[in-house]
Amino acid sequence: MNAPLEPALIHVVDDDAMLRRSIVFLLDSMGWEAQAHASAEEFLAEWAPGRPGCLVLDIRMPTMSGLELQQALIQRGCDLPIIFITGHGEVSLAVQAMKSGACDFIEKPFRDQVLLDAVAQAVRRSQEQTSAALRRAEAGHILDGLSPREREVARLLARGLPNKLVARALDISEKTVHVHRQHVMDKAGVKSAAELARLMLEIDPRALD
Amino acid sequence: MPFPTSTISRFLVLLALVWAGAVHPPAQAAQAEVRIGVLAYQGEQAAAEDWAPLAAALDRALPGRHFVLRYFGLQDLWHAVENEEVDFVITHGGQYVALESAFGASRIATLENPRFSSPGKALGSVVVVRAERQDLQQLADLAGQRLAAVAPEAFGGYLVALRELHDVGVELDDLGSVDFVGFPMQKVLQELLDGRADAATLRACLLEELAAQGSIDPTRFRVLAPQAQQGFPCQLSSRLYPDWPFVSLHHTDRALAKAVATALLAMAPLPGGVAWTVPADYQEVHALYRELQLGPYAYLRDTTLLARLKRFWWVFVGLFLILAAWVVHTVRVEYQVAARTKDLRKALAERDAAQARILAQQDEAEHLSRLSILGELSSTLAHELTQPLASIANFAHSMVRRLDSGRYTPELLAGASRDIASEAERAGGIVQRIRSFSKKRVAIRQDCVPGELVQEAVELFCSMLAPPPQVTLVDRLPRSTVVEGDPLQLQQVLLNLMKNAWDAMQALPPAQRRMDLEIGGDGGQCTIRVRDYGCGLDDAQMARLFESFFTTKPDGLGLGLSICKSIIEAHAGRLVAMRPDEGPGMCFTVTLPAHERTA
Repeated sequence: MNAPLEPALIHVVDDDAMLRRSIVFLLDSMGWEAQAHASAEEFLAEWAPGRPGCLVLDIRMPTMSGLELQQALIQRGCDLPIIFITGHGEVSLAVQAMKSGACDFIEKPFRDQVLLDAVAQAVRRSQEQTSAALRRAEAGHILDGLSPREREVARLLARGLPNKLVARALDISEKTVHVHRQHVMDKAGVKSAAELARLMLEIDPRALD
Repeated sequence: MPFPTSTISRFLVLLALVWAGAVHPPAQAAQAEVRIGVLAYQGEQAAAEDWAPLAAALDRALPGRHFVLRYFGLQDLWHAVENEEVDFVITHGGQYVALESAFGASRIATLENPRFSSPGKALGSVVVVRAERQDLQQLADLAGQRLAAVAPEAFGGYLVALRELHDVGVELDDLGSVDFVGFPMQKVLQELLDGRADAATLRACLLEELAAQGSIDPTRFRVLAPQAQQGFPCQLSSRLYPDWPFVSLHHTDRALAKAVATALLAMAPLPGGVAWTVPADYQEVHALYRELQLGPYAYLRDTTLLARLKRFWWVFVGLFLILAAWVVHTVRVEYQVAARTKDLRKALAERDAAQARILAQQDEAEHLSRLSILGELSSTLAHELTQPLASIANFAHSMVRRLDSGRYTPELLAGASRDIASEAERAGGIVQRIRSFSKKRVAIRQDCVPGELVQEAVELFCSMLAPPPQVTLVDRLPRSTVVEGDPLQLQQVLLNLMKNAWDAMQALPPAQRRMDLEIGGDGGQCTIRVRDYGCGLDDAQMARLFESFFTTKPDGLGLGLSICKSIIEAHAGRLVAMRPDEGPGMCFTVTLPAHERTA
């Protein structure tokens, strides 16, 4: 049912050209597709949303630091998982980064396996986020196809109300509720009120409040 | 008196002849030649006249023997004896004693002159002066006077008189001079009369003989220290010695010697009345030689130095005392010089050591300051070093993974290897930079362009810090102007000043942290100004700014500026701190002597 995901893309942002290149070389050796950026500004200019992946980011850069880029991305609603690379003695910066939602931080010099594990985990997270977003989009599309009355019926059914109470709440006949229910189940492709509820929560976690 | 003796002699001769004939068969001795060496002090002719009758008498007395007389001077006679060319010798007592000592000669008879009462007291000397020399009365008066004598080895004519002079304390050296005129002996009197000598020595009786011949006028001479000797017919200045002996030699046949002795004693007086008698006592001659340290007693001359020492002991003692005083003085002066030299050396060594210690402390402090800057910048340096190390690790691990998974091409691995190598070199470069900065080094002097110096320091400084501070650099000095100094030390000063500026601005937001560097000056000097916009310093801090171990930083050593100041002063420059005319912060100015670069 789910559409196949695009392959993950790892972004590497570091002002040190050789370190940048070596990280790309390392990721490439494990089959990851990686893209290098010389500065935070360059990344912001080149980045396009959509593909799953992660961001390997040097916390300390001359013009725009890693933390500043993180804030910029949050403002833009980008949820790309970030793995910070920090120098020795920059724990306070790392803590700040984690509080702002960073996925992981690695202290230089690091073992290759540590970076690869962190990348794999971040990519997995990204892929989950991406597929969830896809499902959400799909569910939204489904619900968009319902009539206003059918949408109301679906919301109440998702809350677990029986047909009779739904009819009473909407002040319509129980038989009419039954017909709407059949239409909603068919359009959404779900077989039970529970499945319907999950679908609706995916779109809007507060849909059932 | 001669008659009884003569009678006995004849009797003895007879006895000897009987005995000799019994021992030596006449056949054997018939042709034997007996050689007699005779001292011919007045020439061979004169001697032959005197002695020829003796040989004839001996030939007669000892048939079968032929006695041959051979005439010699003193030296030649000596050699004849030495070479055994003669069997008997007739010479004066002086030479006899010498031969006795040297070759074991022995006298077998002594000449007996009827003029003298005793053959043991037949020979003496007179010392004569001109009659008018009233200043010369005694032998001792001859000190410093010129003496004339016949020959140095003459016995009666010289040595006998010399002994008398010795006895009164007048040594040979005390005489003004001694002139030997040679034979005949009377030439000494002519010397005296001609004024070439003050005194003359002669064999006793010669004066009387000459006067009798009418050769001299005896009134013109006066005998010095005349001695009355009983039975001696002539004037005399000396004691008396025995007359000439007839001498048998060591190699002479004993029987022959005995026969000759017997014949001599039995012999009738020769023409002139001289005869031979029993050998006289020659001890007095020995005594003469001993006293004069001559002939057989010449070895006593070895003690001459001792004798002089005895005589002139006060001179020697005086000289010794002066020498000793001089030695003591010299040693003392040397010792004092040595002691003072030692003190001086010690003082110099102490001064050198103190200087070396100060220099070492300066070096140490400078080194410490570099280390402290390094320590303060260590986290940034560590960061810088981590970069290449991380890259190298990444490349290397990736290559292993690719080899495992087959995701590689030779070009890819080659590229990665090149990258690893270049990163390793980068890391090495960083380490080298730290090391050269922290290393103790000997100060050098070379021409440096201030602009380049400051530019490099700024780059180094900014590379150590992230984010790098804003530094503006204004260089108003032409590149042809240079300062002489140690570039590393001068850069260290600049780094220190920039570090201080940076520290002073830590309270400011990063955007406002900036510092201005300005290079200026004229032909003779160069100024480098470092201005910050930080917290500045109060008056109390300003006053103590350049003191060692004064610091406003919690973790500072307080050495930076004091060392900067000493470095700049070592470059004949000045380091001054002041508040800027306007705005916050501080302004440090380095002034160094500058000159135009020579082409």
